[in-house]
Amino acid sequence: MGQQSSKKAECVKGGKGRGVAIVLIACVCGWFVMELEILGVRVLAPYFGSAVYVVTGSVIGVFLLSISAGYMLGGWLSRRANSQRALGMNLMAAGAWLCAMPFFVEPVCDGIFNAGLDEKWGSLLAALALFGAPTVLLSTVTPTAVRWLTRRASDSGLNAGLVLALSTMASFAGCVVTAFYLVLLSIRLTICSSGVVLVALGGIIVLQAALHRRRSSSSRAEGKTAEQILESRNGSGQEKV
Amino acid sequence: MENRMRKAVLILFFFIAAFWQLLFVGAASASQFGPLIHKKDSLYHRIFVYRSGPVATLRFGRQPRVQVQSQVNLNNLRQHMTEYSTLAFCGLLYEPEPERVLVLGLGGGVIPREMRYYFPACEIDVAEIDPDIPPIATEFFGFREDDMLRVHISDGRIFIKKQLRTDPVPKYDLVVLDAFNSDYIPFHLMTKEFLEEVKGVLADDGVVIANVFYTNRLFDAEFKTFLAVFGRCQVFVGDYSTNAMLAAPGPACPTLTVREAVDQAKRLQRKHRFAFNMQTVAKRLHPNAHPDSRAKVLTDDRAPVNWLRTQKTRK
Repeated sequence: MGQQSSKKAECVKGGKGRGVAIVLIACVCGWFVMELEILGVRVLAPYFGSAVYVVTGSVIGVFLLSISAGYMLGGWLSRRANSQRALGMNLMAAGAWLCAMPFFVEPVCDGIFNAGLDEKWGSLLAALALFGAPTVLLSTVTPTAVRWLTRRASDSGLNAGLVLALSTMASFAGCVVTAFYLVLLSIRLTICSSGVVLVALGGIIVLQAALHRRRSSSSRAEGKTAEQILESRNGSGQEKV
Repeated sequence: MENRMRKAVLILFFFIAAFWQLLFVGAASASQFGPLIHKKDSLYHRIFVYRSGPVATLRFGRQPRVQVQSQVNLNNLRQHMTEYSTLAFCGLLYEPEPERVLVLGLGGGVIPREMRYYFPACEIDVAEIDPDIPPIATEFFGFREDDMLRVHISDGRIFIKKQLRTDPVPKYDLVVLDAFNSDYIPFHLMTKEFLEEVKGVLADDGVVIANVFYTNRLFDAEFKTFLAVFGRCQVFVGDYSTNAMLAAPGPACPTLTVREAVDQAKRLQRKHRFAFNMQTVAKRLHPNAHPDSRAKVLTDDRAPVNWLRTQKTRK
């Protein structure tokens, strides 16, 4: 018991507010992943048709693959000292990708089509080229969220369940809203707006991480519980959890 | 306790009744087409074939709201059972002697089959996305493929894209857009970018015909999109159906008045002896029709087709 309490002290990653924020960020990312998936089918249809290969094989397949890669990458990043900065950078990169995507959809898809690839492999490659990177980046949030919420090893399953459940519910909402309402609008505008939201969100996270780091170093200079703060910042508590 | 039991029985009864209704209302309404003789769940559609005497009917789904895709009288293949398949011949009023025809969407194969019959020297390409449709058209609807009438299993847009990349690009005198799923035309076969591609395979004196429904706001958007791409577009409106044909003539093709259309129809009728009345088709021309000015052109970026389809035409 005594050991567990000391771990708890070591692994504190900020207050309740931070936990709520990371869950909300995971939800936002869950929403955007599904929004992109649904719009992705419409983005590819003019170039590769609406054959069953495009929808079920290429788009859904690439999203599943990218989500799994994002989970791996996110798990690895969550152990790093600057995981918050990495998270913010990921969101900014995903957002920038989405903002730029409408401009390279045509050259990418036409290039792949002209290379002679058929609807199956062509659409798979195009889906990977267009949607792979942002989906990987957006999926890195989930493991980081679980890590930030977890203060005791015994809570890890509960936290993982909570993050997955809430972000999947947000994905569901993203699905419904996109399929029912956002498809009525310009696809380009919707994807760009989502990109802007992600860049702004990522920027806030990076800024907050920088401020936190600054505050930590000034606290250290004042000689206040420097070790504890460092422990909490570099996430070395992960190994002990 | 007894009360609770009664409630439970009532709820159970309600669910059984609802299930029964769901299961059999569709079947009852379908009986107007005769008994179901073939059913297939393909990659794209739920295909139902009904047969009532010599009349075979093709539908993609069995709910009452689902449109009839094709209907054929097997004792008289020349007889058109649906209005849209005769209206589709309106393209001949602009291009009376087509040498090459492209049809997107096979269904029961009525339009390409009849084109093949009346124009035996004409080369006809059909693009059909569903590989299960051609065997059904052959087995149940009197359709037959040959050297002059070829079916390509491909999404219509991909087929045209591939044609555009061949050297030389084949030019069609008549392009008939008739690709439907159980709801309507897939969105990527209605947009400005798609019609630009169609324009690329259209002969200068050719014509593009699109089978549409005119009772909703999607019709205005389609009409406006045709005008945006081809500059000119005329409409043939169904008399006893909600079908209409949008006809966009190529640059070397005339714009018709009703009088000119009827005269041309008389000439065609004399020459080909159509089993249907070509003059009736010509009279369906509405030369002054124009789309609602508030309608927006459909693009690959923005094509809210499902929503527009549910909106009634604005006055």
